[in-house]
Amino acid sequence: MAGSLLQWFKGIVGREHGAAPDLAERFRAFQAVVEGNNRTLEAMTEMGEKLGGDYLFDVNYTRRAYAELFAAISDSLSHFDQLTEHRYPQLGETLARIDSLVQRMLTSDEAVSSRLVVFYPEITWDLAEEVGGKNYHLAELANSLQIRVPEAFAITTAAFSAFLRHNGLEERLAGLAAADDAALAGLRAAILAGGFPEEFTAALAAALATIRPRLGEEAALAVRSSAEEEDGDFSFAGQFETVLNVPCTTEAVQHAYREVVASLFQASAISYQRQLGFNPGKLKMAAGCVAMINAKCSGVIYTAAAGKDRSRMAISAAWGLGKGVVDGLTDADLYTVAKGEELQVVEQRTGGKEKMVVNRGGQGIETVETPAEQRVLACLSQAEVLELARQAAAIEEHFKAPQDIEWAMDNSGRCYLLQTRALRMDEPTEEAPALEQAAVAGDYPVLLRDQGVVVQRGTTAGKVFILRQLDELEKIPKGGVLVARHDSPHFVRAIPFLNAIITDVGVPTSHMASICREFNIPTVVNTGQATTVLRHGQEITLRAGEGSEFAVYEGIVQHLLREERQGAARLRELYEFRRQKYIMRHIAPLNLVNPLEQEFSPEKCQTVHDLVRFMHEKAVQALVEFAERQGRGLARLFGGRTPLHRLNLPIPVQLLLIDLGGGLQDGAGGKKVDVEQVGSLPLRAVLAGMLFPGVWQNEGLALSGGDLMSAMTRATDLTGGGQELAGTNVALAGREYVNMSLRFGYHFNMLDCYCSDKPRNNHIYFRFVGGAASITNRSRRITLMAQVLAEYGFALKAKGDLLVGRLSGLDRREIETILDQMGRLIGYTRQLDALLDSDEMVNTLAGRFQAGDYRFDP
Amino acid sequence: MAKHGIMVIDDEKIVGDMAKLSLEQDGYEVETFLNGESALERLKTKRFDVVVTDLKMKGVDGLEVLRTVKKLYPTTVVIMITAFANLDVAIEALRDDVHDFFPKPVKIKELKASIKRALGTAAK
Repeated sequence: MAGSLLQWFKGIVGREHGAAPDLAERFRAFQAVVEGNNRTLEAMTEMGEKLGGDYLFDVNYTRRAYAELFAAISDSLSHFDQLTEHRYPQLGETLARIDSLVQRMLTSDEAVSSRLVVFYPEITWDLAEEVGGKNYHLAELANSLQIRVPEAFAITTAAFSAFLRHNGLEERLAGLAAADDAALAGLRAAILAGGFPEEFTAALAAALATIRPRLGEEAALAVRSSAEEEDGDFSFAGQFETVLNVPCTTEAVQHAYREVVASLFQASAISYQRQLGFNPGKLKMAAGCVAMINAKCSGVIYTAAAGKDRSRMAISAAWGLGKGVVDGLTDADLYTVAKGEELQVVEQRTGGKEKMVVNRGGQGIETVETPAEQRVLACLSQAEVLELARQAAAIEEHFKAPQDIEWAMDNSGRCYLLQTRALRMDEPTEEAPALEQAAVAGDYPVLLRDQGVVVQRGTTAGKVFILRQLDELEKIPKGGVLVARHDSPHFVRAIPFLNAIITDVGVPTSHMASICREFNIPTVVNTGQATTVLRHGQEITLRAGEGSEFAVYEGIVQHLLREERQGAARLRELYEFRRQKYIMRHIAPLNLVNPLEQEFSPEKCQTVHDLVRFMHEKAVQALVEFAERQGRGLARLFGGRTPLHRLNLPIPVQLLLIDLGGGLQDGAGGKKVDVEQVGSLPLRAVLAGMLFPGVWQNEGLALSGGDLMSAMTRATDLTGGGQELAGTNVALAGREYVNMSLRFGYHFNMLDCYCSDKPRNNHIYFRFVGGAASITNRSRRITLMAQVLAEYGFALKAKGDLLVGRLSGLDRREIETILDQMGRLIGYTRQLDALLDSDEMVNTLAGRFQAGDYRFDP
Repeated sequence: MAKHGIMVIDDEKIVGDMAKLSLEQDGYEVETFLNGESALERLKTKRFDVVVTDLKMKGVDGLEVLRTVKKLYPTTVVIMITAFANLDVAIEALRDDVHDFFPKPVKIKELKASIKRALGTAAK
């Protein structure tokens, strides 16, 4: 009888609301979302810790940990979809995108990127691997330094893999480490005869069709190698083939491409890779297709003369194409430029330039005798030399190392840079390092020492940039030392380009700190005085060790830097480490903070953490909407009970209650209900804590932004409909269950609890994230909460301003006691971040809280 | 005093690389090997103070490395690491005189402490 009534009722509601499942079903989906989100965040913090550099891990670990995380978030997402009736299809796409990025990094053997061709202006710093070092560096000159480079596009490592796969050559690569010369020759022959996958040919044809009209009639390209690490950490100079003067046709470029790829497997190149400790079968090669400059003259710049004199640069120049100079075919003009404050040509020698290499249209290139009258002329004017030197200095500054640069000038006098790579320096060998170190470091005044916390160790140097306003972030020169009052997550976008960060205030657990560690940027926080001691524009050297051991020297202490470079050479080999650690960038950062902002949209979800945050907010909202709709429906049908109620609380908090059955005492109902009418055991316990005398303080906190308080405790008017429900405080309550989502200002509490007479079923999940004060203060608040919760046996994971806790298996009485304390903690810590100006305060206040003393004053 | 020599064997390069980098910072001399075979080859000519080896490897595995080390250099300390904490194997390994046994991921600090203990330099 009751069953048939329910059936009938469901039919009515179903018709009314598009066959929506009932509240209980929705609620089960909601619970699954909560559970999935929690598992996701736990896996996230766990992974962040293990990949942080303090653990030895292998790729199996990373795969396993990520698989667990992905399973959790997928689970959450599928229930979320069900709950919201597929209202946010974009989230699935976002997750798929994140997953493909992560998988790509996990499967180092296989570039999964679909991009086979990338034009230079689209090459961003995260594409370095896909386009190879040579392409990346040249594109960087144009994109970051606005230096003129020829029209060009890259054929990616993904294209390389596709090419090898298409020709069945992948297995052969696996055995390459042991391959002899004959096997290599066989491999090269197979490459030279190789065919191209259809999508490769199509992508290349499209790129050529784009570039051809820009180049004009006699368009020709140089097709050159750009191996993953080439021109980066290791020079590979001259190891691989470059094919010049290739006509702009698909066939011709493919022909040249095969030659370039085959050169990766020359015996000499393979042995060079082995020497460097590379696994030869693993190196992937991208290629660059760069417009040929019909060069009037061209040459090479060493930004450190003769590979050792950093105070001067050497520029060579000869008529015709650069190959003449690069291959040493001709006696070039030579200019020496002193660097100093102002660039100055200090020496000029006009060479014989007997030979020149010229472009023979479609027929490749040719070496010819230079006409006699041309030989005696200097290729460059003083002004042109200085212009080249200026660009070279900027490039050296940008890459933080002496450079070996190829340039060319066309007939109209326009100068192009064709290539730049690290110049191999003849470093003096050190005989008595200990002695020298003492002498050298001793000569430099120490500006700061040992007062602060080292976030990332290392030695580096650069010019101080004192950041007063966030909007000046763009102005920091690459390779500068960022000095600021506070650490800030906003620095993140600048971090990859900085040499060091030093702050007056900060914690080693912040988001910024974790990014600094990811990028190995030497960083010291909490120095107390960096912004007052260091001067804007001052050159300094930072040497950061363990713990609080660091020193900032005035000036550039070459000796220390040299020492660091030797260590860094080893660090760079940890390519796999960097790659795996980098995965966290797609997982951990939280970009969506405030649900009331426009930014809080599915489109803005970039990371797994964003997805979790977004899903929770919208899941709560969906339940509230549904309950409200159902309530209206029921009321109309029966004049019956609505499951949606507003709680009357003696504190300025508006809280909606959705009754899942037993959430209210028997007989209680109506739009507004009192605390006494609450039937949910766990909710009663939490509310008792929140309402405990002295816990809820509104006075005495100088919180920046006076209107924050009003925003803090608002539950939106229910008559308003969906949009306004964003950010509402909600309790979903059953007799033995509660899920509370509380958003006070800029932080967010989630508490999910089952509290019954069966301890096995009982649990508390707790989550806290965000805040309005500085990240330092916010993470102090997290520390305080963690201290308190740890006392009750919570398994806790904390990172920055996120805290995730889990507790289970306790009996009902214990759970209720803990919930009462948690209610107090939620109330008590609500504005606490504004107060926690020191680590001592954390201990003091945590101790007081545990003793039942809720006063803030010192 | 001569530096202590440490051999690290793991079929994944990243493990050896990270171990080498961290242990060299503490003044050890570290050699890394990607498989048991090459490590045994090296052991013919060189004694190490500590051998840190992965348990599960294709071909010559960690237990075989352990037995060979103990035969050639009874005083060399062996520390075993593995992807899964398998108790049976751990017990067998310990019976065979493994100094320590770590499941991966291994906290580098703990590995360092274990090495220090093994070398008897912990109390300095």
